[in-house]
Amino acid sequence: MDKVDASAHYQGVTEDKPSLLVVVLDTNPFAWQSLHSELPLQTALSHILLFLNAHLSFSHANRVAVIASHTKSATFLYPNSAAAAETAETSVDLYRDANKYRLFASIERQVQSSMQRLLSSTAPESLAGTNETTMAGALSLALAYINRVCNADNLSDSGEGSGGGARPGEARADTASMTARILVVSVSGDLANQYVSVMNSIFAAQRQRVPIDICKIAGDTVFLQQASDSTNGIYMQLQHPSALLQYLLSCFMSDPSTRHHLIPPSQINVDFRAACFCHKRVVDIGFVCSICLSIFCSPPPGAICTTCNTKLDVSALGNYGGKPAVVLMKKKKIKKAKKVLNDSAADSSTPGTPVA
Amino acid sequence: MADSDSDYIASSGDEAPKSKSNKTGKRGKRAGREKPRERWEEIQRAWDLGLEDDNIESTISELLEAGKKRRLLKDETPLQRGIIRHLVLILDLSVAMAEKDLRPTRYLLSLRYACDFVREFFEQNPISQMAVVGMRDGIAIRISDMGGNPQTHVDAIQKLRLDDPDGSPSLQNALEMARGALFHTPSHGTREVVIIYGALWSADPGDIHTTIRSLVADKIRVAVVGLAAQVSICKELVRITNAGDTSSYTVALNEVHFREKLLEATTPPVTRTQKMSANGLLMMGFPSRIVERTASLCACHSQMNKGGYLCSRCGTKVCQLPCECPACGLTLILSTHLARSYHHLFPLKNWLEVSWTEARRSTHCFSCQSAFPPPPAAALKDTPDAERQPAKTGSSTSISSRYKCPDCGMHFCVDCDVFCHEILYNCPGCQSLGDEKPARTTRGKKRARELSEGGAGAPPPPPPPAPPEPEPMVID
Repeated sequence: MDKVDASAHYQGVTEDKPSLLVVVLDTNPFAWQSLHSELPLQTALSHILLFLNAHLSFSHANRVAVIASHTKSATFLYPNSAAAAETAETSVDLYRDANKYRLFASIERQVQSSMQRLLSSTAPESLAGTNETTMAGALSLALAYINRVCNADNLSDSGEGSGGGARPGEARADTASMTARILVVSVSGDLANQYVSVMNSIFAAQRQRVPIDICKIAGDTVFLQQASDSTNGIYMQLQHPSALLQYLLSCFMSDPSTRHHLIPPSQINVDFRAACFCHKRVVDIGFVCSICLSIFCSPPPGAICTTCNTKLDVSALGNYGGKPAVVLMKKKKIKKAKKVLNDSAADSSTPGTPVA
Repeated sequence: MADSDSDYIASSGDEAPKSKSNKTGKRGKRAGREKPRERWEEIQRAWDLGLEDDNIESTISELLEAGKKRRLLKDETPLQRGIIRHLVLILDLSVAMAEKDLRPTRYLLSLRYACDFVREFFEQNPISQMAVVGMRDGIAIRISDMGGNPQTHVDAIQKLRLDDPDGSPSLQNALEMARGALFHTPSHGTREVVIIYGALWSADPGDIHTTIRSLVADKIRVAVVGLAAQVSICKELVRITNAGDTSSYTVALNEVHFREKLLEATTPPVTRTQKMSANGLLMMGFPSRIVERTASLCACHSQMNKGGYLCSRCGTKVCQLPCECPACGLTLILSTHLARSYHHLFPLKNWLEVSWTEARRSTHCFSCQSAFPPPPAAALKDTPDAERQPAKTGSSTSISSRYKCPDCGMHFCVDCDVFCHEILYNCPGCQSLGDEKPARTTRGKKRARELSEGGAGAPPPPPPPAPPEPEPMVID
């Protein structure tokens, strides 16, 4: 505490790690269609590309990845091996454009071409009746990619899982210790049927210390709120979607190491209450099956868990979670014995004591 | 690696009958001694392994993969596990721990791993409880009381670093204290004791066998990690309390092995019989977080803080979850804590090795986009040889460095394989391909049904749990 301030500055300089930014873009066509008047997908994509360029220009070691979370699939937009091959074939003059930094141009082309491929491969009939997005898959991909890129440093600190020793160094040595974060640009709600897998992704992110930032343009999902809350990410519900770029640059630009010095926007109230499995009621106090951990608002009829069909022991609920009473059996006996002793003693030695 | 391994075994197999026939001969005595191979003879020398293969790089990368893959092949059947656990960690603090065979000393190393154990335990079992007990000077000392907050346990263990190990350990005293700590725990949870035991003796005041019998009566199961050598009483203790199964008694070979074996106990144990734990219904509170303008004291740590959670029954303020309400004893948790345990109930399937012929399909890992080694020219031709070539190498790694999810058929690299099975518990392929492939929960359901119907050679069947409905946990 009472050290000279300069030491902190010195440490800050040495700890300046390159950072990896993974953007998960929700590409649900319905949601983007409804947003079309304010923010067309084309504009949003160009804003995001600009944001990526800004991130890359902080340091030459910074890296980005873009993942599309489509209605029924999640794919990498960048880095994408197929798109890379394609752009290499078609555009010979990519590296000769004097007005653009080469990396920016290649990311732009790859993202655009793979985006086009993704949208053109989406058949209208496959969209029928789906209003959701494969966020769980996209998050899983993002985390696996982050794990790969930042692999070298979690060998040493976490130890478990990848406890096999160092990998052959070469290319990964320079990206050994990167900080990583995920930015989710979300436009659709309702992730209900991916609950377990989204939760698994969130816990994995928490364990890897990867913050998940949520840029919520439309829709509402509780899971993403919880994701940003439990991973210390930023949650931002956009008031004016047309100003996406400004939001991105002012709120989501700072990398995890900078955030210690800033007060990032985050939502204050996260809803953590649970809904019971039986009536879908939101409960404050619930009953949990000890086998499958399903939640009930009242003890289920016949004391049989409706999800796992286990016969439950409801008798323990008699005191409703209170601490069990201390067993007094032995003590009583001792007391009795003592009493007898006392009585006899009282009788014999102190006749003067008033005995009732 | 595989070749050299099998060679070695084969040659020793050749020698075995020879030595038998030579028994009466001149070299009989020596040959007889050679027959059973001791542990210290099974040394793999790095220079032996690489020699046969002309390509040293591939050998090295294969070795690295094998190391990563080592812990991976887990039991993947959805068994009923005791999710709500009560565990007592017993640390040996006796003079035997001053040995320096594990660096820096057994004592310091086991304290460090004990802290790791506590953290990992609560990571894996957020709604469980733990206590820590030490053995020193022939008595058991209480290090931390039964509780659900990892930090209190870690702090208590860290304080021990200042002391020196001393005296004899007493297994019986420690077990009795553990039994006392587990006495009032509710019957729906598991009762477990994990012992780190460095000594080869135990100074007990009475008959330890009575204690072991009472442990069985109390449904407490014991796991022991020995540091020096196998001790008979430990083995018996584990055998009797685990219904004849001694797999949870191990002696650590080295530091890494020690850590591995200790952290194995963080996975919830399989429920053996219905009797082991009663299926209870628990009352739990799901409090909402509040933010206050002025700081106030929390009931759990008596510290000033702005915000926290209010007990849903009595309104007491606590600063962190999960915990038990200090005023009314209600278990307070977040619904996310319950979700954290789901992966124990529905483990991810092990991924399969991919042969070269099949490997042509992919050039990049599906999830991390890193390039795979290209298939060799021989495998590109549709020769019957290539078909017959096994996908697995001797060290359980894939010959083509690709691993395939049996459900979605996507190819992954070994890093992603380890990551997905150890940390993520999702298959990126199955999740990313959405509705086209069966979702994970339905698979769990299907397998659960299969298991309950057919049995598929399942051990005395603990009924696998049906998956909880995924959607309704949290609703706004």
